[in-house]
Amino acid sequence: MKRNETLYRLLGYGCGFGLLFAIWHIAAVYIVGSILFPPPGRVIAKAIGLIEEGILQEQVLVSLRRIMTGFAGGAAIGIPLGLAIGSFRPVRYLLEPFTEFFRFIPATAMITVAVIWFGIGEASKIFLIIYTTVFIVTLNTAAGVGAIAPNKIRAARSMGASTWQVFLYVALPATAPYILTGMRLAMGNSFVTIVAAELIAANAGLGKMIWDARLYMLVDQIFVALLTLGLLGFATDRLFRWAIHTFAGRFQPVS
Amino acid sequence: MPLITLNNVGKTYRSIRGADYRALQNLNLTIDAGEFVCLLGTSGCGKTTVLNIVAGFEHHSEGSISINGKPLSGPGADRGVVFQGDDSLYPWLSALGNIEFGLRMAGVGRNERQERARKYLDLVGLKGQGHKHPQELSGGMKQRIQIARVLANEPDILLMDEPFGALDAQTRSVMQRELLSIWSATRKTVLFITHDIDEAVTLATRIGVMRAGPASNLKATIDVTLSAEERDRTNDGYVAVYRQVHALLRDEVAIAMKRAEA
Repeated sequence: MKRNETLYRLLGYGCGFGLLFAIWHIAAVYIVGSILFPPPGRVIAKAIGLIEEGILQEQVLVSLRRIMTGFAGGAAIGIPLGLAIGSFRPVRYLLEPFTEFFRFIPATAMITVAVIWFGIGEASKIFLIIYTTVFIVTLNTAAGVGAIAPNKIRAARSMGASTWQVFLYVALPATAPYILTGMRLAMGNSFVTIVAAELIAANAGLGKMIWDARLYMLVDQIFVALLTLGLLGFATDRLFRWAIHTFAGRFQPVS
Repeated sequence: MPLITLNNVGKTYRSIRGADYRALQNLNLTIDAGEFVCLLGTSGCGKTTVLNIVAGFEHHSEGSISINGKPLSGPGADRGVVFQGDDSLYPWLSALGNIEFGLRMAGVGRNERQERARKYLDLVGLKGQGHKHPQELSGGMKQRIQIARVLANEPDILLMDEPFGALDAQTRSVMQRELLSIWSATRKTVLFITHDIDEAVTLATRIGVMRAGPASNLKATIDVTLSAEERDRTNDGYVAVYRQVHALLRDEVAIAMKRAEA
């Protein structure tokens, strides 16, 4: 039953990607027919070339390292912040102006400031990823704490749990699915942000690769970067969904 | 000395807008160790409020309450609570993990607490199901876990808030029988909330009939001296108690209906 489900999914994904490449190929070769819109075959050939030269994996690693560092930092700040906001009303009132204020200033709008403050190196990128991660994770975590059924906490109290134990053994696991969902959303944002930041000011990364290719009209290379981004994002998101399913499937509320 | 004493207890819900709501007024009830007391009342009469106050989840506004001679202060491991719904169970823990929870909080070692949890798992008829998670179990089984979880913690008092209210009639009847046999085996003191006269007559050693709200309290308490065999709907003794309780409750239902219309 479970094995069948996995098989169906893999089969579906295979066919879906096949269809995507087919449409792309038809559009590029038969409809547009321009050198400015390369078909998948050419892009893949270019990608293989770039991998052989060691360029593609280097750029991917640079971008991924920035995303992972910033993402981990953002989650490390966001989770305890969200727990505190969800658990203590004074903290919520104190911090809501922060979260509700910065939430509406997109990370892309902060790129200029980040570059002025931290330069075009790693620090500005990591700052931006932390920035784009923190608020989503915080808000989702806080919402998760708010969604805990009061009877879960009451039951723990009448089984002798202390306030600290209620937090550690009830509130935290009950909030886990919300935290993971927030992290998943933040991961999507991180991809958007890192590319935008690397486009504008960077010395390496997938965004920089696109920008450099533009200068020399290397359309194939631009498409390699786009394809890589799509596939990376898809893979990371699947990984997250898998993690949520594996570690948090049983964290779902009792139906 | 009674185990639970409620002396002139009142409860008023403060409201920021509109009038305050007085749910309970001058409620007096004493429960001795080993009693099985059913609080019976119409919906909205405040019977769950009484349980929440005794559990320590809500504060009373007037009067005094003592548990085992000490004034009541907050929730505690001496009073285990079985809730009506299943939202108090921990879906991230297995059935056994749920049952162990209280022992884990008390710092009981893994082996001992698993052994004790298994004993209560067996007692509620879930032998061999300990590895399953609550969401894999039926409504009746989930309530069994709740009961086992509370019993494993070995409280003096069991507070049960319509624990079988959400179950189908057959499962409910089976659960009532099993609760009775568990109660005869453990002789815990039970405060059981219900709106079902049959359930009260089947289970209780004493039934407290509550008045319709607001400002509710106990209209009367009736001792039920039926033996286990006599607790059968076709038994004359059972029918006599049923009639007595029904007569007391009927007027309160009428009052509640009239107030709801007004």
